Amino acid sequence: MDVQQGTLALMILRTLEVLGPLHGYGVARRIEETSRHRLTLNYGTLYPALLKLEQEGFIAAEWRQSENNRRAKFYALTAAGRKRLARETREWQQTADLIAAFLAPRREAP
Amino acid sequence: MRHIRAALARLAGFFTKDRADDDLKEELQAHLDMETAEYIRRGMAPDAARRRALLASGGLTQAAEAVRDQRGLPWLESVVADIRYALRTLRRSPAFTAVVVLTLALGIGANTAIFSVVHGVLLKPLPNRDGDRLLYLRQSADGPGQANISFSVPEVHDFRTGVPSLGGIAEYSPWNLTLQGDNDAVRLDVGLVTGNYFDVMGLAPVLGRLTRPSDDGAGVPPVMVLTHDFWIKRFGGDRGIVGRQVKLDGQSVTVIGVLQPAPFFPDRIDALLNMVVSPHHVSAMMVQNRSHRMTEVVARLAPGATVAQARAEVAAIYSRLQSDYKDAYNPGSHYRIAVTPFKEALGERARLTLWLLMAAAAFVMIISAANVANLTLMRGVRREHELVVRAALGAGVARLRRLLLVENLVLTLLGAVFGVVIALVGVRLLVSLAARYSPRAGEIRLDGVVLGFTLALSVALALLLSYIASLPQEGTFASWISAGVRRMSGSLRKQRLQRGLVVAQVAVSVVLLAGAGLLTRTMIRLSEVDSGLRAEEVFAMDVPLLQLSGGPSGGTDPMAWFRHIMELDVAAKEQYERMRSEIRALPGVTEAGLGSSIPLAASTLTFDVKVEGEALAVGEAVPRADVRTASPEYFRASGIPLLQGREFTSTDRGGSGLVVIVNKTFADKFFPGEDPVGKRIAWTGPLLKLSPISGDWRTIVGVSGNTRDGGLDAEPRASVFMPFAQMLSIGGALVIRADSNAPGLVAAATRIVHRIAPAAPIVRVLTVAQIKDQSVSPRRLNAELVSSFGILALIIAAVGIAGVLAFSVSARTTEIGIRMSLGADRGQVQRMILREGGVLLALGLVLGVAGAFFATGLVRGLLYGVAPRDPTTFVGVALLMAAIGILTCWIPALRASRIDPAIAMRSA
Repeated sequence: MDVQQGTLALMILRTLEVLGPLHGYGVARRIEETSRHRLTLNYGTLYPALLKLEQEGFIAAEWRQSENNRRAKFYALTAAGRKRLARETREWQQTADLIAAFLAPRREAP
Repeated sequence: MRHIRAALARLAGFFTKDRADDDLKEELQAHLDMETAEYIRRGMAPDAARRRALLASGGLTQAAEAVRDQRGLPWLESVVADIRYALRTLRRSPAFTAVVVLTLALGIGANTAIFSVVHGVLLKPLPNRDGDRLLYLRQSADGPGQANISFSVPEVHDFRTGVPSLGGIAEYSPWNLTLQGDNDAVRLDVGLVTGNYFDVMGLAPVLGRLTRPSDDGAGVPPVMVLTHDFWIKRFGGDRGIVGRQVKLDGQSVTVIGVLQPAPFFPDRIDALLNMVVSPHHVSAMMVQNRSHRMTEVVARLAPGATVAQARAEVAAIYSRLQSDYKDAYNPGSHYRIAVTPFKEALGERARLTLWLLMAAAAFVMIISAANVANLTLMRGVRREHELVVRAALGAGVARLRRLLLVENLVLTLLGAVFGVVIALVGVRLLVSLAARYSPRAGEIRLDGVVLGFTLALSVALALLLSYIASLPQEGTFASWISAGVRRMSGSLRKQRLQRGLVVAQVAVSVVLLAGAGLLTRTMIRLSEVDSGLRAEEVFAMDVPLLQLSGGPSGGTDPMAWFRHIMELDVAAKEQYERMRSEIRALPGVTEAGLGSSIPLAASTLTFDVKVEGEALAVGEAVPRADVRTASPEYFRASGIPLLQGREFTSTDRGGSGLVVIVNKTFADKFFPGEDPVGKRIAWTGPLLKLSPISGDWRTIVGVSGNTRDGGLDAEPRASVFMPFAQMLSIGGALVIRADSNAPGLVAAATRIVHRIAPAAPIVRVLTVAQIKDQSVSPRRLNAELVSSFGILALIIAAVGIAGVLAFSVSARTTEIGIRMSLGADRGQVQRMILREGGVLLALGLVLGVAGAFFATGLVRGLLYGVAPRDPTTFVGVALLMAAIGILTCWIPALRASRIDPAIAMRSA
């Protein structure tokens, strides 16, 4: 299953909120695991999305040592990123509630 | 905010590409390593783990490319690459590039130059504050010289009180004054203005102050404001001029300021003064007489008022005036008033000529663009192979289109650069042309607006050129490539387009040439017009001696001013006669005469006239005639033939009987089929009371031939000559005939004039040939400009035809080879190619002649002595175009017939 346009950014932000600063590999694994491997991210999808968020100022990047002592680029949520995440989460929930209400099985036959 | 930030980050990314690339490589490698390590940890063999990780990545190169697209400005990077590529391609075909750039430069240059004139003279806002709210009022009546008779002070007063939508009405009276310098005297064209003039006009001083209402009326000191041009020309831009006293017509006048550069209408002027400088202008006669019209009127719309409102209100007042003052508005003369925006009035003489030139330049642009389009199309065919290869390597249609666009932009912008250089030279020539038609010629500049026009033109051309090239639909490439096609020739459509363009070129050239032909014939006709006098070795000098300002200022006796002028006149007449007789005595001079104005110059004075024993029919316009004076020698000196009766003699003087000589137009109009000699006429009308001229009967003693006083293209007007000695020496001109080399006598004659009247300005010295040329030369310049556009169009179109046929021949080499090997001889092949070109040519000719048939009607106003659909011109132009066209078809036809069938078929 491919990632829907616009939702990948939300997933990345949420991942960074839950796990704290993380490298690209970590983000990809986390998203794949959370989706129970229904989503797979190749680099050509992930890294442009990360770069875009960085350009927009929602995340910040920094080179650090990884857990197994490898140099890796770590991404962390910024204050603006936190705000955007909160707003988008709210909007998504509203949309989801709305769609759920529409798609709910009919209670009684006409 | 977020978008700006992202854009800035991208811009930064564009410039820090290399370092970011290293970073990215490391980041992606780290990801791959970690993933590999993870698979190994789960128990895979290192090789398999690595392969698995690579597979999951989706390709490192592709990922890097995707990130690069997000990082910098991918379009900018590829545009830079496209420009580099375009420059490389164009360098590889220098002949193509040179021809295209040159063709475009000519087209763009012509358009830029003409547009700069159109913009400066017709379109640009006036330098006046809120210049679009200024209105020009024009009063006219039927009859010669009555197209713009200006206004009297009482009329202006009525408008001032009765038209609320005009917020301010300024008076401006054209006048002449002699400025006495330290060692010379010059005649100034000035405007006498009311104190509100500059406020209404919305003009500011660059130095000192302007006149204001406190400078109005009698009993104030006379003051002068210099126009910017005159300040530079006469005083070299001296900033110390303010406060200086100058001598004008013998009076001391203070210079109070210098005006900002601004256009004047109807004529260019040197300075503006308050009315008091001319006693006549503050006299009761001027201020109270409704028929005494010598004031121009410019008004400013009141806030919120519209031109339509002003027109309606002015018309209402005017019809009331006409019924209240019958004697000032003779019903037969159809007095009328027009309210036009000042900017339109300034442009009225230039408008038709300039739009004609703009249209001619646009035609040249169309032809150049068609040529370049053809060259591009032909080159496009040769490049199809290249485009297929590029498509095979992954370039989409949009990408190829952009590549073409960039290439064409490089071409048109190069053309624009050279075009602007051409325009810079052309504009200088055009300013001198525009100066004959418009007071705004000084405002012509190659400014931002003009360059913007040039840029827009170039970009539009590039777009056009890029989109006529046919590229296949997205998605069809694959089938082309898999089919192993080397070319994509959808060339039937393309050839049809090329031929269409050639037909259009021929047609447009014919229209342009027809215009050029008509204007050239106009110019020739005009120079052939008989001016009415034997030109040979004659020159004339304008030497006004009477200084009408000065003298008793605004006295209680309105006739005091006249008496003063009459006294001056006695002295002036004596000086004129001394000048005449001394110049006559110069060796080489065969005759010298005196008159009110030089021959072939319009008289400034016209009066109503009546014939003894004849009453006007009811409703008939009061006839008018030009007032001129002549000494007995004037006609012989000028070479004006006497048709009937006698010349003036030295006995026709002050005390003797009043006599006149009338011209042929006058005789034909008032005495059709009769002998006018011995009949009597008299001056009449409301204006006469204001002049020192009597309304007594005057006996006609002779009839002179007509002269073209209003320019060679104007019909001769009725004129009445009075003896120089019997009339106030208004104007004042010497006419000198020599047995040879008249220009060589100018210096000697000038010395005599200066010696006898040191304080008199010599306004102009002209040979009769020069006077004649003044009315021909603007037409000549017109004809030359349009003709050079026409010739340019012809050349470009010829190159176009030859090019398209040559291309067709080279595309049909194999076919021609087959035909020849099957027995077609050279003549047949030649005829085949000629026929191909001939059809295009004939189509273009038909369309062109039809187009010219409509287009030339629009320039009727610029023609003289030739009909807009003059058959001679049309036939001549069609023949010329046909001849050139056939000649250019011949070259490719010859080449086709020399094709060697063996070689042609082998190389196929």
